[in-house]
Amino acid sequence: MQISSLQAAAAKALVAESVRKAYGATVALQHADITLEGGEVHAVLGENGAGKSTLVRILTGATAPDAGSIHIHGEPYRPHSIEDARTHGVATAFQELSLVPNLTVAQNLLLPHLSRGIAGMVSGRRNIERAAQILAEHKLGRLDPRVDVSTLPLADRQRLEIVRALKNAGSVLILDEPTASLAETDWLFEQIERATERNVAVLYISHRLSEVREICRSATVLRNGATIASVSLTEATDGDIFEMMVGKKVREELSGEGRSRASGETRLKVSNLSGGTVEEVSFDLKAGEVLGIAALEGQGQRDVFRMLAGLERVDGGSVELDGKPYVAHSPRAALKAGSGVAYLPEERKTEGILAGMTAASNVVLPILGKVGFPAIVNDRVEFRMAKDAGERVDMAPRYLGFAIGDLSGGNQQKALIARVLATGARTLLLFDPTRGVDVGTKASIYAAIRAFTDEGGSVLFYSSELPELVQLADRCMVLYGGQIAATYPRDQIDEQRLVTAMTGHVDARERAAS
Amino acid sequence: MTDLTQTARRSEVQPPQGRLAGQTFARLLQGGLIIVILYFALYALYFYQQPRALSAGSIAALMNNTVPLALAAAGQTFVIISRGFDLSVAGVISVCNVVMAVYPLDGPGGAVMSILMCVAIGGSVGAVNGFLVAYLRLQSIAATLATMIICQGVALVILNAPGGRVADWLSYELTDRLFKTIPISGLFVLAVVLAWLYLRRTSFGISLYAIGADEHAASLSGINVRKVRFFTFVSAGVLYGLAGFMLSAQTATGNPTSGTPLLLLSFAAVALGGTSLSGGKGSLFASVMGAATLMLLQKVLFSSGVSSFYTGVFQGCVLIIAVVFSGLIEKLGERAAKL
Repeated sequence: MQISSLQAAAAKALVAESVRKAYGATVALQHADITLEGGEVHAVLGENGAGKSTLVRILTGATAPDAGSIHIHGEPYRPHSIEDARTHGVATAFQELSLVPNLTVAQNLLLPHLSRGIAGMVSGRRNIERAAQILAEHKLGRLDPRVDVSTLPLADRQRLEIVRALKNAGSVLILDEPTASLAETDWLFEQIERATERNVAVLYISHRLSEVREICRSATVLRNGATIASVSLTEATDGDIFEMMVGKKVREELSGEGRSRASGETRLKVSNLSGGTVEEVSFDLKAGEVLGIAALEGQGQRDVFRMLAGLERVDGGSVELDGKPYVAHSPRAALKAGSGVAYLPEERKTEGILAGMTAASNVVLPILGKVGFPAIVNDRVEFRMAKDAGERVDMAPRYLGFAIGDLSGGNQQKALIARVLATGARTLLLFDPTRGVDVGTKASIYAAIRAFTDEGGSVLFYSSELPELVQLADRCMVLYGGQIAATYPRDQIDEQRLVTAMTGHVDARERAAS
Repeated sequence: MTDLTQTARRSEVQPPQGRLAGQTFARLLQGGLIIVILYFALYALYFYQQPRALSAGSIAALMNNTVPLALAAAGQTFVIISRGFDLSVAGVISVCNVVMAVYPLDGPGGAVMSILMCVAIGGSVGAVNGFLVAYLRLQSIAATLATMIICQGVALVILNAPGGRVADWLSYELTDRLFKTIPISGLFVLAVVLAWLYLRRTSFGISLYAIGADEHAASLSGINVRKVRFFTFVSAGVLYGLAGFMLSAQTATGNPTSGTPLLLLSFAAVALGGTSLSGGKGSLFASVMGAATLMLLQKVLFSSGVSSFYTGVFQGCVLIIAVVFSGLIEKLGERAAKL
């Protein structure tokens, strides 16, 4: 009897029961249960702050749980370090990416077990061979193992992170938001399939439900640090899952569809803009308009945003703001120019937040000048200034007093959007504003963008998620190879069209026609 | 079976050969290309002023002057690459110096004992620093400030005023020349540089750069950050001990504040060598060359008849110029690597 139950337990790749973790007074994880079968892709769903990251940290050995038990193939498992977890065959691709920028692709891939040559010295050649071998096995042979990771685009860094986890995952592979910077999932899903063929259990964390449905058979839903249920995805509807995640009937559809208003006058007129990888891009952005940009990774969208924000040198072309020439040499100049241009950067962790300061300080930073020099800026003043902007993004005022680094990713992002709104700029450049945030936060961000354009503001908006563009954009242009491949009006935006254009097929067709 | 398929696959993959041009350039820059060029330019000027500059005697004299600072800067480089600061350099050198002046041990055997003593002093102070920073998570500048003050106090307890006498054998032999040409003190620096070239190719060396660039990512990559940080401070301490040993051989006397002037100059030498004070890149050899350049500058100014009061002004200006210049070159290099 006992033996058979032991055998049953051994058949499961991973069983975690009643896992609990508290940081001081805040309980991050109350009661988490999860069971993974070998060869299964299992999703973990939950809003930001539901305890997913804590669960990941515990399973990878980065933190020790306060209570509960974990077994891997029937053996007790209590890792005390990342390295220890790896020896048990548990490896993780982290959401925040754990690659060291100044080391090469090969070194990152093989750390901390680099091949040694003479006298214990690390052998460059042998490591490059091994790395090239691993990359080729995972269909990333196009990456050169000798280059520094800092030179790779974000999408390739994410792929590298995933490959490293795949290489180390003997029994359990944890993927935390693996598609946050990937524009397509084909490569990833193929790799996951190959891992499951080896009988590796995959724990898949993602906010994109469509993607989860495509690859996972079952899911565990977390809410407020506790497991709500483990469900089969073929049976549960989206509505069921949202309800379990949020704990109440989800508000209607995310926002009012089908809005196409007569736009006002031209706010931003970009003519033949060149710089970085961008060549001769021209477009207009009208008052009250959301202009979407769709593109695969690295098609020049970053350069367009950074040039307009004054972060990158413009090589040619001209930009007009409200009919007057617009030249920004810095983000500050961009804010001060005419009706103002504010930029929301891509990487929240490194370009956005000031982790040690409160959320309120982070929000009001660009407008502190309004207080005037001799006046003292204390918490009260900041709070008062930040409150309005916080309300516009549906951010609970109680979060304003916390250090922003301690808030969940969703609330950090809300604070950053509150910051660009607080600047009073009439044009916002939002670069992937909903990357890695949950459904509820997304809805708040969409509502804030809508409210802003209803008041006559203009938004230039890039997103790696096509449904978002379909839903939000009044017009959408597609960048391909640093040029505009196509522009679609509201009624013509659909995912199919966008994908065709993003992969460069429109260009070919047009060329054939002409 | 799996072995067979693996070998079959192995032959299909063609690992890229050789080095990338842009990267080689960047490595050379990091390795101190600019400071080496600057040094030889300055030496040419020195030679122009003093034709005797290339004689074995004056090279050895210059080398003897340079070695203590070079070793101190070498130790500092370790800590700075790991993204830290180490102020204890001043304290360790002072303690080593007074110990050698108060307890002189003559003869070759005494010299070996002395050097072991200095290394032990430096290593233990480094271990204390490493423990405070890596395990108790104190900020490196605060922890090493404390150990520096303690060491300076200890130095005053051992010898409360300049005096004492370093063993004669040491002060003669270590400032001498081997076969009448090679300065012996230079051999110490050479040994340290060779040890560094070895160390930076070990997994310790690679981990050192990794934790300097991004400690969090390094720990998620499986690097034992605490251990690496601890041994970084120990290695640095050992080098400060050697610096104190060489300084004593040089001055032949004891002074409880002898390490203090080397404190800020060691940072200057590191910065001059192009090592980023924010961690993650740099080279020990470049710092040694930085130290050599600072000392050579003193010589050149002296032989030009500039009052020694101006030395600091010139050293500071050269530092600013070198840092700005290496920043510019690095930008050019990045652009070249992109193309």
